[in-house]
Amino acid sequence: METRKIEILVGVFVAATIVALVFLALRVASNTDITRGSSYTLSASFDNIGGLKVRSPVKIGGVTVGRVTNIYLEGDYYEPVVEMQISTTYDQIPETSTVSVLTSGLLGEQYLGIEPGFIDEGIMMLENGDRFMNSNSAMVLEELIGQFLFSQGDN
Amino acid sequence: MYDQKGCTVDNLVELKDVYFNRGNTVIYEGVNLQVPRGKITAIMGPSGCGKTTMLRLIGGQLKPRSGSVDFAGHQVPELSRGELYELRKRMSMLFQSGALFTDMSVSDNVAFPILEHTKLPREIVDTIVKMKLQAVGLRGAGGLQPDELSGGMARRAALARAIALDPELIMYDEPFTGQDPISMGMIVKLIRSLNQTLGLTSIIVSHDIHETMGIADHVAIIANKQVVAQGPPQALLDHESALVRQFLNGEPDGPVPFHYQANNYLDDLMARGG
Amino acid sequence: MDVIANLGRSSLNILRGMGAALIMLLQSIIGKPQPRKSFPLFMRQMYVVGVQSMLIILISGLFIGMVLGLQGYTILVDFGAEQALGPMVALSLLRELGPVVTALLFAGRAGSALTAEIGLMRATEQLSSLEMMAVDPLRRVVSPRFWAGFISMPMLALLFTAVGILGGYFVGVQWLGVDDGAFWSVMQASVDWRDDVMNGVIKSLVFAFVVTWIALYKGYTAEPTSEGISAATTSTVVTGSLAVLGFDFVLTAIMFS
Repeated sequence: METRKIEILVGVFVAATIVALVFLALRVASNTDITRGSSYTLSASFDNIGGLKVRSPVKIGGVTVGRVTNIYLEGDYYEPVVEMQISTTYDQIPETSTVSVLTSGLLGEQYLGIEPGFIDEGIMMLENGDRFMNSNSAMVLEELIGQFLFSQGDN
Repeated sequence: MYDQKGCTVDNLVELKDVYFNRGNTVIYEGVNLQVPRGKITAIMGPSGCGKTTMLRLIGGQLKPRSGSVDFAGHQVPELSRGELYELRKRMSMLFQSGALFTDMSVSDNVAFPILEHTKLPREIVDTIVKMKLQAVGLRGAGGLQPDELSGGMARRAALARAIALDPELIMYDEPFTGQDPISMGMIVKLIRSLNQTLGLTSIIVSHDIHETMGIADHVAIIANKQVVAQGPPQALLDHESALVRQFLNGEPDGPVPFHYQANNYLDDLMARGG
Repeated sequence: MDVIANLGRSSLNILRGMGAALIMLLQSIIGKPQPRKSFPLFMRQMYVVGVQSMLIILISGLFIGMVLGLQGYTILVDFGAEQALGPMVALSLLRELGPVVTALLFAGRAGSALTAEIGLMRATEQLSSLEMMAVDPLRRVVSPRFWAGFISMPMLALLFTAVGILGGYFVGVQWLGVDDGAFWSVMQASVDWRDDVMNGVIKSLVFAFVVTWIALYKGYTAEPTSEGISAATTSTVVTGSLAVLGFDFVLTAIMFS
């Protein structure tokens, strides 16, 4: 009787916790982490990566297909290189594709956008460890303003 | 240790030359005590002389600084934790407050040590519990919670729990304190009858002289950090030591002075006046 | 010289206290498990420590979530960014308020009760009595309470967080009119399962360990008098709360910087 009541109430406690955990997992957190399944690694070098960070998303046409896993400088000229993991669901990215550092909204976070290139005979698909040949660096506000002023001066 | 006829009797508990400190306070300086098997031994002394400490030394809850505490051939202070716990199954202690577990009924309290240390089936345990409660006159109170009992009943219930495992030694810590005359009478009767019927050895720590002297076979008096006298109650009543006589007769002044140590009264008053 | 001697003495005392507390904890949780005997005791403590704290946790969580919704909205709407209400409510609850406020409430509700209960058991000689019955009070009394506290506090923190997010949802979406879909989707986009949810759970495991340990040690070493027990209870709440806030800073620095 007494023991039974205690057991039932502890059971309710545990059940409520499980409900809370499921709620947090399904409703609150992004558990659809694209790189959780099997993935492959690509890299790209830029002049400037702006505010890109490790774990920033990699998107094709706005759909997240992977995440940034590593950022480092390479070579004598300290060229920034970004490594990313892409889900193997999207393993048909041609080598002619372009990768750019983009910003979501005016003040939003930065992410990598892949623009798939043309497919032709002799064009290979990117495989694990490959590097993008075309990349667009991040827009830096000061440089944009400088370019604008410069072009005004020409006129 | 000799009884009246002059032949040796064996001692269940024996303390030899025990020194004990609590912090920087010396409690015992060379205490010797014998507790004869199957008898009721009373340990008496003024408040604060460390009577309860003696029980805790025997039970192994405290360790002496030096000296030997012997229980049935085992050196209590030298035992490992496991051996000590094994030995404690043969003794039990009735605490001043009863120390019943407040979250269990009286029956469950009595059943607790049996369930804890034996693998008896529940029905047999229940029967033993009824027998133990009957022995202290509380069979009808088994379903009550400890907070529903009067002080005297709580102590009797605790006594039932103390004898649940049929120990060889029971230590009573101030069993008469704060009891009305009726429950005091009941407890005196219980201690005596348990001692006779179960062949227990009992140690009573108390400063209630009349009740204790009435039932004890052997009395030890502690004062000034030592056992100042031990022997049969009659022999102690006309002991040569003035301290023992003062204590047993309850005289307000004597070797234990009425006044706490102070300088000359007249000087003290005059100093204030001046 | 006296100042230095005092400093030395109090440091030694603190170290001795911590050592004694560590020994108490080890003695109570290490040893041969006896599931048949300890499971009912553990269940009982889960009830006392966990279930009985549920109500205060749920109500506080709801109100704190609602306040976050209200405050967040009034700040964000000035920037036209009320869509960010979801992540603001969720992240502050998951990372900070859930674990910390739960631990503080737990120290006040369950911790003080544990200290008082064990202190009272010592004062009424129940612990001594267990020892004399050859039953180890650390295994019998301290151990089930430790496990119950250690397990139930993270559970309570999860409940607190979930209810708090719902509270923020009610205020933000149902009352103030933030878009329903945006509230959840923006939240999902910025809350990460491992970084945010799991780190919150780890925080609350650490807090649970510390608070329960302090509560039990304070009770076990309380002076066996009424003043002693009340001092120990106060000390549990004060020490427990300070320890939670201190550990929170350290953990936040490690996890989110």
